[in-house]
Amino acid sequence: MIYSLVGYYSLIIGLIIGLSLFYFSYKNFNNSNILDIKILSFTFLQLFFVFISFLCLIFSFVVSDFSNETVFNNSHTTKPLFYKVSGTWGNHEGSLLLWLLVLTLFIFLFLLRTKNQPIKYKILTLVFQQIIIIGFFLFLIKTSNPFNYIFPIPTEGLGLNPILQDPALAIHPPILYLGYVGSSIIFSSVLAATSLKIISTSWASHIKEWILISWIFLTLGILLGSIWAYYELGWGGFWFWDPVENVSLMPWLALTTLLHCILVLEKKSILTSWVIILSIATFTLSMCGTFLVRSGILNSVHTFANDPERGLFILVFLFILIFLSILIFFFFHKDNDRKSYSFFWLSKETSILINNWFMMYFLSVVLIGTVYPIFLDVISSQKISVGPPFYHKLIIPFLIPFLFMMAIGPKLKWIKSQLEDKIYLISFLIISISLAFLVIKNFNQNILINTILISSALYLFFITLRDFFAKKYKNISQNIAHFGFSLLILSILFNNLFATEIITNLKVGETFENSKTKIVFESVVQKKEQNYNAIVANFSISNLNGEEDRFSPELRIYNQPVIATSEADIKTTLMSDKFIVINLVQNQDFFNVRYQVKPLMLWIWLSVILVSFGGIVSFLQKRS
Amino acid sequence: MKFLRFVLIFILSISSISVNAEENDKRNQITKNLRCLICQGQSVYDSDSEFANSLKIVVDKKLQEGLSEDQIYEYFKNKYGEWILYDPGLNKNTYILWLLPILIFLIGGAIIYKSFIVKK
Repeated sequence: MIYSLVGYYSLIIGLIIGLSLFYFSYKNFNNSNILDIKILSFTFLQLFFVFISFLCLIFSFVVSDFSNETVFNNSHTTKPLFYKVSGTWGNHEGSLLLWLLVLTLFIFLFLLRTKNQPIKYKILTLVFQQIIIIGFFLFLIKTSNPFNYIFPIPTEGLGLNPILQDPALAIHPPILYLGYVGSSIIFSSVLAATSLKIISTSWASHIKEWILISWIFLTLGILLGSIWAYYELGWGGFWFWDPVENVSLMPWLALTTLLHCILVLEKKSILTSWVIILSIATFTLSMCGTFLVRSGILNSVHTFANDPERGLFILVFLFILIFLSILIFFFFHKDNDRKSYSFFWLSKETSILINNWFMMYFLSVVLIGTVYPIFLDVISSQKISVGPPFYHKLIIPFLIPFLFMMAIGPKLKWIKSQLEDKIYLISFLIISISLAFLVIKNFNQNILINTILISSALYLFFITLRDFFAKKYKNISQNIAHFGFSLLILSILFNNLFATEIITNLKVGETFENSKTKIVFESVVQKKEQNYNAIVANFSISNLNGEEDRFSPELRIYNQPVIATSEADIKTTLMSDKFIVINLVQNQDFFNVRYQVKPLMLWIWLSVILVSFGGIVSFLQKRS
Repeated sequence: MKFLRFVLIFILSISSISVNAEENDKRNQITKNLRCLICQGQSVYDSDSEFANSLKIVVDKKLQEGLSEDQIYEYFKNKYGEWILYDPGLNKNTYILWLLPILIFLIGGAIIYKSFIVKK
């Protein structure tokens, strides 16, 4: 009771502080020699009150205060403490409160850390950020108050969807939101800088830090979601081109484009309009992500928490923000650098433009693939599905030149360049192609396309690998990221090409055997845990070399709410993952057993971590 | 135009990227492209629901009857509607879906070429 009360009024106070910040900003703006200390302290107070509100919600979950509607809908007394806490953001209201917390946190850090930039710019950034923050306050208080009362007070809650009761998913939303919401600072800052006409090399250098922060978190956030899907959803895949996955990929693509584009702006004062558009697009796509997921428009694994009316609010809010940014863009932005526009065809500028070109293409594929079915449904009420085949067909062919460009582009110099060390560039190409052909030649199908694909990835791999040891080459962060990306593509390719799978029906005591694998279904035992009952099946699986592994996949029946899930058992090694999952077949006494060997699975995760590590290195370099 | 043809050939050759010769793999390939209608965002292949399992049996039967992959897709399309296919074919409903990204790519290239590379 008391937590809900404190939490709710903290939100109201936070909103009032937000409004008062407009007033202080206005006063300070006309008299801006130094930043008014009130602004900084009020921004801190706002953060403080949102934090208090968030803490209150966490406490309500921890003590299972079912007078709170959010807690009642999403928690249960038998849940382990860890999932009580993570349940706070595993629902609509709580996750929006988390959005708000990150929004206020970022603007406070921004004001604190930004030095050597005009005061007016800082104030204006604050104003734009407050517009977003107040929008979220209103949204939260009006349509999704996390502190609603229920009376009479229920004695037990409805529980949290069991597929969300998982460690990776517990930290996935906060990390992803740091990335999503981090882009709000880029958005506010770019609007402020455009209004003041101070978009320049020094601004680019300053905002790059913030681009890097949100890019790192967004990358890791997507990774966590993917890992979770891999072991929890029980089909052994890690990316399904599901609309909700796409929605997190789109801001990532825009942000990655921006990260490359800002490099040009950092060196020369060109491409300013493009940087502005990309910054606006990144945040808009993040907001669209929230809108699409929360409005229930999408048919996907994530629609367990949705509400169409809330979607309308976000949609209107989104339109206001887009309208505002377009207005500012056209009123204040003047492209006065037309003259210096032409680039030599072989230069770093051109290679970055080509990166932007391909990235925008990938973005448009994902965007159109995600939105078009909704659009078609609305105008002609015809339902079509756009799934993996669509994305593969449109993306994979373009990936090949893209990978080659990733290898060569960073070697080019600014303004005008010549390809140096042609011999080793070409010899690496020959090595890559022959190696790829050797790997692929035993396959009966599509030798050509697979060879080209693998050789392009191998090429990037070898070139970046060599650059680690080349003395004159010093852009280590870029090299790590590109190396990680080549590793990612290679792992995905080999994972797809060499995965094997056995699907069979087995009773307890039975054995499945083929030329390579022997699966023995040894026994079934029952297990009782605090939040679920489980049937644990014990398997022993041996391969040709006589290696034997023991597996215990589970079927769980969660008590609150009563939902049955399959828990896969996965044995991870450096070279491959062994993945087994069982399912009950209705009215039958056997289990459906699915056993997969997935090569290089671990490397998919490691390479993404490596890619984001490149970002971290770059960030640390900027700091020092 | 050469470039366009190049792109088209690639797209066509990639469309059959993971078709395996063996019968079982063929079934997997087909069921991966079918949506499990009662699940949330899962393919028939990935799902173990009753609906998915019965569809797997239907696919097996159709394969034994000697139907080609495309004929099987056609069969399911007629029975359940286009919603069931993850790979929307190119038809009057999907021209925009397939061609707009390619168009954006070409326009993007043209813009870059015209405004940055060619000396004015």
